[in-house]
Amino acid sequence: MQTAASNSASLPAAQQAASVRTPGPIRHYGRYLYLAINIAILVFLLAPIAIVVVFALNPTPFIQFPPVGVSLRWFEKFFASRDFMHALWFSLEVAVLTTLSATILGASAALALARGNLPGTRLIVATMLSPLMLPAILTGLALFQTYVLLDVGRPTWGLVAGHTLVTLPYVVRTTLAVLHNFDTRLEEAARNLGASPLRTFFEVTLPLIKPGVLAGAIFAFIVSFDQFPVSLFLVSPGNETLPVTLFNYLKFDLDGTIGAASVVSIVLAFVVVIGLDRTVGLRSYVKL
Amino acid sequence: MSSTATTRPNGLALFILPSALLFALFFFLPIGLMALMSVLTGNPVVMPKVAFTARHYARMVGDPYYLEVIWTTIRIGLVTTLVALLIGYPLAHWMARIKSRAGHALLLMAVLAPMLTGIVVRTFAWMTLLSDKGVVNQTLMSLGLIAQPLKLMYTETGIVVGLVHIYVPFMVLTLTGVIGRIDERLEQAAENLGASPLRAFLEVTLPLSLPGILAGSLLVFALAISAYVTPILLGGFQIMTLPILIYQQISANFNVGFAAALGIVLLVISLMLVIAYNRALGLVSGQRELQ
Repeated sequence: MQTAASNSASLPAAQQAASVRTPGPIRHYGRYLYLAINIAILVFLLAPIAIVVVFALNPTPFIQFPPVGVSLRWFEKFFASRDFMHALWFSLEVAVLTTLSATILGASAALALARGNLPGTRLIVATMLSPLMLPAILTGLALFQTYVLLDVGRPTWGLVAGHTLVTLPYVVRTTLAVLHNFDTRLEEAARNLGASPLRTFFEVTLPLIKPGVLAGAIFAFIVSFDQFPVSLFLVSPGNETLPVTLFNYLKFDLDGTIGAASVVSIVLAFVVVIGLDRTVGLRSYVKL
Repeated sequence: MSSTATTRPNGLALFILPSALLFALFFFLPIGLMALMSVLTGNPVVMPKVAFTARHYARMVGDPYYLEVIWTTIRIGLVTTLVALLIGYPLAHWMARIKSRAGHALLLMAVLAPMLTGIVVRTFAWMTLLSDKGVVNQTLMSLGLIAQPLKLMYTETGIVVGLVHIYVPFMVLTLTGVIGRIDERLEQAAENLGASPLRAFLEVTLPLSLPGILAGSLLVFALAISAYVTPILLGGFQIMTLPILIYQQISANFNVGFAAALGIVLLVISLMLVIAYNRALGLVSGQRELQ
């Protein structure tokens, strides 16, 4: 909503520019149609998120629209539920462990790919990014079968390994983007001034790639926290992540508790996105 | 000699090893085992006498039900991709062409916000919107436009709406990058030569953005055919897709071999799509794969 308002504010300037080129009422109508279509698309994108908040606050025990009031009963139920709280903490634990391993592995791999003179770099990058496009449900299935064959049960490390696999690509990509953009002469200068490769790395390279690594880490955290298909196969009963618990709940119940749980995860995502924008800027991640 | 020295892997190349190990143990080995399981008669760990068999694949090809499931999955994927393209293109165009920096940041935020909201949460949102007593039906009925609630949930239409919402940001982000690379002056030149803005768009921008359209479509299709949560919740267990069937084979039947064979089929389709996607992006610029 906010977006639509601010963009219509910037509209007069664009219109002026258009009318300077070739004036005419048809052009204006075309421009209005263009904006109307885009605002409708933005509503389509954002309305479902807004509706979740509405249902989280609506006190009726079933889906009712228009809402009849405002209450926090679903939030109370969510935070009082032992299952949901256990799932929330387990999800956070998995997300933290995943972020740590994906960040360390991904940033090192990006460094090797950008500076290590490895042969076949393009193929390696394509392979490392492939878990993003290959069905995550297959990653889950394949890992599940492997753990069954090796008879290791469903340990937390197995879940974290699966999550690391699907979050690593984000770290690799954001770190590579920064490594490719920065001036390698800075590193050469440090080396020429007598710094050892190790010292050059810690005093020049690392501070410069930090924003990319950080952005990747934040992506990794959110993706792990919201991850569903891999977790579906790898969680053990009684030890489920929040999305799996929500899914199981949704199969039978459609009350406001899910709304409250959703709002908690949305707020978490927004805090992280704003943090991302503040620290490194979102503009550099337009490229997918 | 010096030229070979600069192209030889240096010490930093060793940093690839931890990730290589992760991929070997938790990606290639499991997928290899899945491929193996799909041609075995049983679990080799617990069953001493296992043999190779093609029966899992034969079952898939021989039973029209499974072919129907594969076709449903592909059909939902195709419709989702088409709608995501029609919805994603205008927004991507606006994002690529908007002059104001703040406007661009807000648009980007609007596209990323749904992306960063979990799949389960977004599917829940669509359940509250599309169910018989949901927002859409309640609103239409209170306006007197319909007497009976429309059947939106538990239909393929419902699944497509949910999937489009989930995957349209991927389309927008892919297209924005490609459209942003097209020189705006080409469009202006066409307009200065007398073309209407629509004609300038159709004859200049649209053809130049074709690789982006291809890449975005392949990405969305690959994601849509592997979706599980949205088809199962919005389809109400009534519409069967390949991922749902795979999970059902594990959870209800514990038929690991057949699940593996279905998984391999999905994997092969996805792999072909990934390769095509990389080719399509390669058309935009030879450098892009690295980022």
